[in-house]
Amino acid sequence: MKSSITKGWRPLLVLILLLVIWEGAARLFDIPAWLLPLPTQIAAEAFTGYSLYTPHIMSTITLSATGYLVGITVGIVVAILLFRIPFLQQAFYPLLILSQNIPVIVLAPLLVIWFGFGMLPKVIVIVLVCFFPVTIAALDGFRQTDRDMLYYLKMIGASNRQIFWKLQWPHSLPSLFSGLKIAATYSVMGAVISEWLGANKGIGVYMTLASSSFKTDRVFVAILLIMILSLTYFGIILAVEKIALRWRSQGGKVSDGSTHS
Amino acid sequence: MGQLILENLSKSYGQNHVLQDITLSVKEGEFVSIVGPSGSGKSTIFQLIGGLYTPDSGTISLDGSVLNNSRGHISYMPQSPALFPWRSVLQNVELSAEIAGTKQDRTKTLELIKSAGLTGYEDAYPNELSGGMKQRVSFIRSLNAPQSIICLDEPFSALDEFTRLEMQQWLLSIWETYKKSILFITHDIDEALFLSDRIIVLSDKPAIVKKEITVPFDRPRSEELLMSDPFLILKRKIYNLLRG
Repeated sequence: MKSSITKGWRPLLVLILLLVIWEGAARLFDIPAWLLPLPTQIAAEAFTGYSLYTPHIMSTITLSATGYLVGITVGIVVAILLFRIPFLQQAFYPLLILSQNIPVIVLAPLLVIWFGFGMLPKVIVIVLVCFFPVTIAALDGFRQTDRDMLYYLKMIGASNRQIFWKLQWPHSLPSLFSGLKIAATYSVMGAVISEWLGANKGIGVYMTLASSSFKTDRVFVAILLIMILSLTYFGIILAVEKIALRWRSQGGKVSDGSTHS
Repeated sequence: MGQLILENLSKSYGQNHVLQDITLSVKEGEFVSIVGPSGSGKSTIFQLIGGLYTPDSGTISLDGSVLNNSRGHISYMPQSPALFPWRSVLQNVELSAEIAGTKQDRTKTLELIKSAGLTGYEDAYPNELSGGMKQRVSFIRSLNAPQSIICLDEPFSALDEFTRLEMQQWLLSIWETYKKSILFITHDIDEALFLSDRIIVLSDKPAIVKKEITVPFDRPRSEELLMSDPFLILKRKIYNLLRG
């Protein structure tokens, strides 16, 4: 905690400096607000336009959280299936990669055609962007287990199921959590993109309305909200990770590097 | 119970002939060491006993039943401690019984931890322990298993001289209380002589049993033994066997 305060001033300083330059340059060159609003104008809009965007926030949170939870569940289950059943891995791994090459922005309208304007197509979009980093991270974690520990378990006659749940699964958690953190920020992005396509509420809707009426300051407020939401999700996962991986932080004296990749 | 018999065991990997006609036995409650030049296939013997591979010929039997290529009949302590970093000391010690599927006996586990001098460290994680402490946890983990025979694969080779001697004495004292059969692999002649009832000397590849030596020293053994004349004479004998 102490170190985050003593080290935290550097990025904060850069951020403040950037905002000051932005404010100064925009004033100096007299740039119109519809083109690039001043940071102070954005702050004022965020403050006074409070009642305009609050209903949208709740809707985006519900959507992204639902999508995220479904997405990581699918991601973990897919990873376990692919890992435990080598045949499935050979058959489906290329498909998995291909699924990530379809631009979401193209896929989303198709999903609307197939599933309408309800919650379902939006959740599918989020699931599609969320599950991939989770699956890849978990698979990597499963594969990179410590050879000595694996050998020990085999020697004392552990079954494949025991090897998985007692070694490969806990060993993959640090890697899995990096996937979960990436997916957390993706989920907010996925939610906003899916809201552009047809929704009556959400930060995506607020953003579309603002940009089509040249209320550029509101577009920036929307960006700010997305950032705050993403960071909050990131922070929650980080906190869960700290608790789940208690053993890593304890002791401090890291003598066997093999497990701290 | 805990009588292990290997009869005419041979194994080769392709062109690589590793073991030839290995015959040896470990009686109940006996401490037997296998010494041999490095790369002589000592670990292969363990892999066959552990059931990871099938011998090309010969049989492995424990208390009369043949266990070629079947797993889960032995307890094992590897060269590196191989403790699970996300498990506390207590949970690590419990792992071997957990895998074997037997009921945990918390009092026995705590007693073992006490005998390892690790009382107060039950909830510590492995990365808080020193090298010697980790090896002690690793050994009591193998003792906590229900199996009657323990295979130890050069368990002290990574430790410094002083810690090693300390660990050997500790191992003897705890083994004398629990009396399990032990098959011990080492390349250290001193260690084999100090610890065992019998020593099996292997040749270079393909490994055959060159000689079986009964160690005549009484138990409990103390550090002074290491410098005594009969000890050094036996040591020289084994050394010459290994050389040529």
